Amino acid sequence: MTESRRLSLILAAAVLALAAIFAGPYVLDTYSVNVLTRSLLYAAVALTVDLLWGYLGILTFGQSVFFACGAYAAGLVFTHMDFTPGNAALALALGIGAAVFTAAIVGWLAFWHGASALYASVITLVLPIVATQLLYSGGTFTGSSSGLSGFTSFDLSTEAWFWLAGSFLVAMTTLAYIFVQSDAGRLLVAVRENEQRCKYLGLNTSRLKIRVYLACAVIGAVAGYIYAAYAMVVAPELAGFVFGTELVIWTALGGRGTLLGPVFGALIVDYESAQLSGNFPFIWQLIIGTVFVLVIVAFPRGLLPMVFDLPRRLLGLVRPRGDVARPARVALATLATLDAAQTQGAEVGNGPALAVTGVAKRFGSLTVLDGIDFKARAGELVSLVGPNGAGKTTLMRCIADGAERSAGTIIVNGHDIGSRPPEACVAFGVGRKFQMANVFETLTVAECLQIARARHARPSLWRRANILPLPEAAMHVIATTGLDRQLSTPAHLLSHGLKQALELSMVLALEPRVLLLDEPTAGLTKTERMQIGAILIDLTKKQGLCVLLVEHDLDFVREISSRVIVLHQGRIVLDGSVEEVVASELVKQVYAGSGHAGIAHETAPKTGGQEVPA
Amino acid sequence: MIAQTLDIVTTAAILYAVATGLLLVFGVMKIINFAHGGLMTLGGYAALVTTQAGWNPWLAIPVAALFGGVAGMAIERFVVRPLYARPLDAILATWGLSIIIGQVITIAFGRGVQFTQAPLSGTLDLFGESYSAYRLALVGIAAALGLALTALLQGTRLGLETRAVIMNEDLARGLGINSALVRFLTFTLGAALAGVAGALITPLSSVDPNMGVPWLVNAFMLVLVSGASLLSLLVACLVLGGAQVLVATHFSPVLGGLTIAVLAAVILRIRPKGFARD
Repeated sequence: MTESRRLSLILAAAVLALAAIFAGPYVLDTYSVNVLTRSLLYAAVALTVDLLWGYLGILTFGQSVFFACGAYAAGLVFTHMDFTPGNAALALALGIGAAVFTAAIVGWLAFWHGASALYASVITLVLPIVATQLLYSGGTFTGSSSGLSGFTSFDLSTEAWFWLAGSFLVAMTTLAYIFVQSDAGRLLVAVRENEQRCKYLGLNTSRLKIRVYLACAVIGAVAGYIYAAYAMVVAPELAGFVFGTELVIWTALGGRGTLLGPVFGALIVDYESAQLSGNFPFIWQLIIGTVFVLVIVAFPRGLLPMVFDLPRRLLGLVRPRGDVARPARVALATLATLDAAQTQGAEVGNGPALAVTGVAKRFGSLTVLDGIDFKARAGELVSLVGPNGAGKTTLMRCIADGAERSAGTIIVNGHDIGSRPPEACVAFGVGRKFQMANVFETLTVAECLQIARARHARPSLWRRANILPLPEAAMHVIATTGLDRQLSTPAHLLSHGLKQALELSMVLALEPRVLLLDEPTAGLTKTERMQIGAILIDLTKKQGLCVLLVEHDLDFVREISSRVIVLHQGRIVLDGSVEEVVASELVKQVYAGSGHAGIAHETAPKTGGQEVPA
Repeated sequence: MIAQTLDIVTTAAILYAVATGLLLVFGVMKIINFAHGGLMTLGGYAALVTTQAGWNPWLAIPVAALFGGVAGMAIERFVVRPLYARPLDAILATWGLSIIIGQVITIAFGRGVQFTQAPLSGTLDLFGESYSAYRLALVGIAAALGLALTALLQGTRLGLETRAVIMNEDLARGLGINSALVRFLTFTLGAALAGVAGALITPLSSVDPNMGVPWLVNAFMLVLVSGASLLSLLVACLVLGGAQVLVATHFSPVLGGLTIAVLAAVILRIRPKGFARD
């Protein structure tokens, strides 16, 4: 299916939905039209809950507040000022402004580097509570607990309001649908799946979250504005925690991460509530609560995916097994190799590619690294060896994340990393491959690679690229390991070795200047290992990368390294050429695990004023 | 001045009693039990039933513990257990349970506000102030709860196993501790404590089907700033409860109601560990 065909199908579905909205008032009774107008607006807010929770993984209880921002802006302006077209525009602007302002504060509080998912949820929980209390304490200005009513508003017919609310919902749903299916939208899922990997791929996840959050706040505010203008009444409950959780309930029932599920969830539950709550108010709530718990426990994907699965299952009963293969995910058509002249663009700089001075890392009273000093030039392949617990991985972590170390300075390509987060270190040219393969498990190989390129090629907000250009080195790893035949395989189905290769190619796709590899060949066969070794040598020699490699296999180290650093109990005990290290009695002792005291004694004077020439 | 100090101490005691059950569950299971509010409501109605039956109002406490505990057993077995791997979903599912409890109570007892008989009435003269005897008694009850829980955690084999599960569940399981049983007992105990808290607060306010909900958020915030320690919970209750009393008396009661939630959110932003030590 071509890209334009895919987009026109979505638009065709949107036109059909608009036609259904248009027909609505002609087939429904007035009461239903009235109720559904409200439900359509609620559904637009539920849509934002799904974007945040279903796609981005932020469970939010506070979307009601943005709805109330828009609603109260309209209510306040129309109550305290005259209703004029100018004031109507002013109210809309105020509503959106208030929502954006609130969302910015929440975003700053909830999405900083290192904030947990639970903390973000906590903030969105506090938000509606604060907002309702402020509305309660507003006296006659906000109407306190009874809210505002009796203000003048747009003079539109019931049908027109229904059409307006419906068109707004269809437009927002279509836009959201196109967005989440686009290359940029896939980043949302990547952040939900593995935020850490995203940061180490140079993506500013906090900024991404705040942007999506701001956009969702605007959608909520506009929905609230239409609501107030239509209903001509606003109440503090609109901002409340209960409405906020109802939105989450509708989203969960419909099916998080499906967009259409939450929309239908909101429409059906809110409409039925209005129909049934008159006769059986408590029973209805009880049923909703019970179904909600059941769905969360037993069907976390929600009800819409089940409805969609039903015909497929029925088909499966009729047709012979194996015939109803899941439709293959639309894969990227092709990979392409970038011109080598265009890659590894970051300036090499004059000084060493990597300069580590006096770096220490302590966990409380435990010192894991102490007085680490070394420099590495571009074009060097430095192996970091040492027994388990020597601090090799910790050192890698300190170089790739400015907030990790307890003391010392780290300069990458002439930039002091200070206490900057991983994505800033990536921008200076650091690329880190983790010890355990760290990829986006539910995304396909091609999608993983594409996310790794997002830093260089700004992903489209509405389209899907079908050609993915990658630097030569990444392409080389992909071709060598056969990953190019598995581009549409979800990463969690790959073998351990292929996952390692995938992560390595993702890191290489970043075009790093300083490459940190934590046992990149663990789990690979001897041949693959030698191929990776050849690629690494090529990278350092031809492209001038500085590679820092943690490796246990000393034969492999001997074959590819230009220099070896031996780490033991958090200190550098030896820093020299491959020959020196291999011949060293000390290294044998370290690896054999004998004579710890002797080593400490021997190295104590060495680490003091040592400045090993790079 | 003395009245205000007493206000702060008694408020902290009430908050402590309300939050311990939640803290216990969060500490062991890393799960926020949003049914805590609903279980408190259940405890409140247990107290109502007890006093309406003409029993001694003090009996409300064990009855509420029984109600809460039995409900907790069912909740752990059927709802929380499948959700250990999905902590955010557990918040939602327990919130759904809160709705269910509220609606069942509404159907059984009606929507109206009801009052229970306080086990202690009148005032006590303390430092020249005459102060509500029941509020003062709550300080003793909260202290007794805290001490009993500490003794349970520090002095018994179950407590040792519970602390092991808190620190490193995988390792604890590897050492042969039945962590599923520890979780089950913890949740039951947490739910029983929620019931007790509900029974304790009813003489101060009234009983209605949503009485637990306003307490839930404050208790939740207190637990988050305390980590998993009963001691830091005490500190958090005193500091934040004190701030609440001061803001409510000197500025406005509405702002006072927000103090705990807002302060806790800011504290967590600045210091993610909150009041917990390293």
